[in-house]
Amino acid sequence: MNAEQKRLDEARENKAPWKKWGPYLSERQWGTVREDYSEGGDAWNYFSHDQARSRAYRWGEDGLAGISDDQQKLCFALALWNGKDPILKERLFGLTNSESNHGEDVKEYYFYLDSTPTHSYMKYLYKYPQAAYPYSNLVETNRGRSRTEMEYELIDTGVFSDDRYFDVFVEYAKASPEDVLIQISIHNRGPEPAEIHALPTLWFRNDWSWQGHADRPSLQQLDGTVQAADAKLGTRYLYCDGDPRLLFTENETNMQRIFGVPNRTPYVKDGINNAVVHGQEGVVNPEKKGTKVAACYKLVVKPGECGIVRLRLSDVAPGAAGRFGSAFDTVLDARRAEADEFYKTITPAKLNSDEANVMRQALAGMLWSKQFYHYDVDKWLEERGSDPFKAKRKAAPRNDHWHHMYNGDVISMPDKWEYPWYAAWDLAFHVIALTLVDPDFGKQQLKLMLRERYMHPNGQIPAYEWNFGDVNPPVHAWSTIFTYALEKGQKGEGDKDWLKSCFQKLLLNFTWWVNRKDRSGRNVFEGGFLGLDNIGVFDRSAPLPTGGYLEQADGTAWMALYCENMLEIAAELALTDEDYADMALKFVEHFLWIASSMAHVGDDAGMWDEEDGFFYDVLRLPDGRAQRLKVRSMVGLLPLCAATVFTGEVLTKYPELQARLRHFLAARPEVSAAIHDPVKTGVAGRHLASILDETKLRRVLEKMLDENEFLSPYGIRSLSRYHAEHPYVFQTGGQEFRVAYLPAESDTGMFGGNSNWRGPIWMPVNALIIRALLQYYAYYGNEFTVECPTGSGNKMNLYQVADEIGRRLTRMFLRDKDGGRPVYGGAEKFQRDPHWRDCLMFYEYFHGDNGAGLGASHQTGWTGVVARIMHVFATTSPEALLEGGKRGYHKTVAPVEKKPRRKEVAA
Amino acid sequence: MITVRKIKVALFVDRVSNQWVVRDPDGDFWIIPSGEDGWQRREPFLFSEESELEAVPGHYLHMLRLPF
Repeated sequence: MNAEQKRLDEARENKAPWKKWGPYLSERQWGTVREDYSEGGDAWNYFSHDQARSRAYRWGEDGLAGISDDQQKLCFALALWNGKDPILKERLFGLTNSESNHGEDVKEYYFYLDSTPTHSYMKYLYKYPQAAYPYSNLVETNRGRSRTEMEYELIDTGVFSDDRYFDVFVEYAKASPEDVLIQISIHNRGPEPAEIHALPTLWFRNDWSWQGHADRPSLQQLDGTVQAADAKLGTRYLYCDGDPRLLFTENETNMQRIFGVPNRTPYVKDGINNAVVHGQEGVVNPEKKGTKVAACYKLVVKPGECGIVRLRLSDVAPGAAGRFGSAFDTVLDARRAEADEFYKTITPAKLNSDEANVMRQALAGMLWSKQFYHYDVDKWLEERGSDPFKAKRKAAPRNDHWHHMYNGDVISMPDKWEYPWYAAWDLAFHVIALTLVDPDFGKQQLKLMLRERYMHPNGQIPAYEWNFGDVNPPVHAWSTIFTYALEKGQKGEGDKDWLKSCFQKLLLNFTWWVNRKDRSGRNVFEGGFLGLDNIGVFDRSAPLPTGGYLEQADGTAWMALYCENMLEIAAELALTDEDYADMALKFVEHFLWIASSMAHVGDDAGMWDEEDGFFYDVLRLPDGRAQRLKVRSMVGLLPLCAATVFTGEVLTKYPELQARLRHFLAARPEVSAAIHDPVKTGVAGRHLASILDETKLRRVLEKMLDENEFLSPYGIRSLSRYHAEHPYVFQTGGQEFRVAYLPAESDTGMFGGNSNWRGPIWMPVNALIIRALLQYYAYYGNEFTVECPTGSGNKMNLYQVADEIGRRLTRMFLRDKDGGRPVYGGAEKFQRDPHWRDCLMFYEYFHGDNGAGLGASHQTGWTGVVARIMHVFATTSPEALLEGGKRGYHKTVAPVEKKPRRKEVAA
Repeated sequence: MITVRKIKVALFVDRVSNQWVVRDPDGDFWIIPSGEDGWQRREPFLFSEESELEAVPGHYLHMLRLPF
């Protein structure tokens, strides 16, 4: 067992709080819903970036490359000043939703280079221009661009010309759980010596101003050290190498600047900014105390050289010698080496160095994307004047029915700048990757969303703070059983108590879905946009322009998959607990009802279109007519994803269940007539729960694997390329609605206009397709082959197809034969410069034709699933999958040898 | 039965005079001078045509140490 694994064990067993300090600081707290107290709910404009340096936050904090404790009492981050910027660089800058032509977007370059799961070692890179940061240029130029134009990026401003910038590396290494070493290495990449002010900053989150209690924490100078004292946290010390000037102020709102009323104290949040940038007197406390402090290091770094700043945040009181110098080096070197050692055990031996780098940075990004998320909705509603228990209350613009919620936990975020709030369905995908390095954290995250402080009393899982009541695809059960099986495969036994408690809560959620989203009681589901933003002809979350409603192929497919996953959980629990046997049968039957409704072929318009061989949403009009909306999109591929193999163990153990199932099938032959026969056994006697029978499966695969439709060189597109030449057009009420293939950014403002499901490649749904193909393979085996790509004459079994899709997805991040990475498209600096080209960003989605990264630049969240995809195909084999079924992967404790790929053979 | 609806305490800034203004539980508006004992030194706020009240989030109320 390596050192990091020991730390994980100690953290799990509560022997040492190795996860107490971590990268839990957000990268954007301004512009969030929780900080929004505007009348109309205009979160982006209510609390702006411009206000952030002066206005204390109510619910959380933000900073550059920062850390905090797990309750975010005390925060540490880096501030920088190049002597030219109009403000300190205390936080990342980006455009708000309305400022940019494609929605909100961070305009900075920063990279999560490394992290261990206990954060015993972390490394971050920020690229800081030496010229004045072009704030207004970015705002004005982007505002002037249309939706059909590209975004104007920081690199386009020329601020990195001649390499006049600093590479600022921030590393953290824990000597003990409460003794964190911090090294800031500042490299001048430019041609001339350049001055930089580094201001490592320590501050307390302001929770004293809003609650009227006297427990105000304090920072004060003791010789050259900062003592931080808080009633709950205890005492900590910030040791600063060298003899920097310490500037103290209070983390309190500058009332004069924000509200126009006099300040209570001259020492307010922007005091350090005003002292350093403007040389103002009297804005930092000469008594050397406060709730926010910065250590001021002024460096002049020669070209090609590096300046180093070292600090130590510790619970050890002053007195001991050797905090810096060789003692510091020894710990830092040890943690770096241990991080390497840890990742060596995680990374399959078959991966080459570039692949290993991609996988490690994907996981580093996921670990850096943890954030302390604090939002007491009841308190927030009260502070807005909206009391949920009063009849004549003032309604809040959002989240008015979620007053039960109290969130105050470290949660995996999709992107700590663009999406610094949890998103329930994203989180389920995050866990799929995070469990590669920290299964305990994955389990805790899944359970968290089901707790009473999160889940609505009615059973709904909260979507995200923009509207907790939005409906996201129900993938929680899938992530739960995957995580359970992974642990069982690796340890020999799974955590059944955890699985049981999740199952109970998931039952509430399942029931919520059935009772709320099946309007007609016919086992066909709605759900609105269901996470796929602009994929539909209409905004699927709004009243339809035609009247009536949609029966959604994706909503119904998600519910079929939900049934399969609940069946998997119930069947697993039933092996040792008879109480769950009935539930297993319940979910078999429920799956059959849903699947048959979806695949039903009759006089009425169903979702399956026999002529096209594809699934579509069905529009039910108020006059009783119905029609399929023939958009070939991910919506129609999701039914393929509802496929799971079963061994039938539970039926063997409980013969009466088998009898009841047989009776049900015999009594209701129509239920299984149009779907895959659940009784028919495949490889190794396995059963398959699938909406698609073999014929339908082949027809859908034919489209999915057609390079002129869904199969791009970099994965499966969200919309068929067919619609480039054949846009889908729907006319109603004199209005025309059109869906065309858009491989890059959205050209409409639907759902904020900052994402696009009309062509680009999205990692999470590709992961689900790969999962399904492996399930089909475990059932059909090597005999079932298809052309891949369609029309190529190249026959593949479904394992090979899954592998091929996995390779195409991975290829977006890997260097190609010319040394470029598709993810960076035409950005030359990212492609060629040695200081940029191996630093990776895991975007939100990718260009449908060339694989270039689009949308949020740091959505390592669900795009980090690429690490799991790489791991799957490097550690398992078709033989293992055929032999062990689903367990063929889960049982892989250590990486296994893998047969070389075709290209490797050819080479 | 007749129930009396309790008026919510609310905080504002008057952008014309640059002062805190509080609406108390009785619905009366008061100017609150800056300082530790602002409530003791309160003065009635009289609306005029120039008055420009901007709502301030409820959590700032605690900072003024009001007796309610």
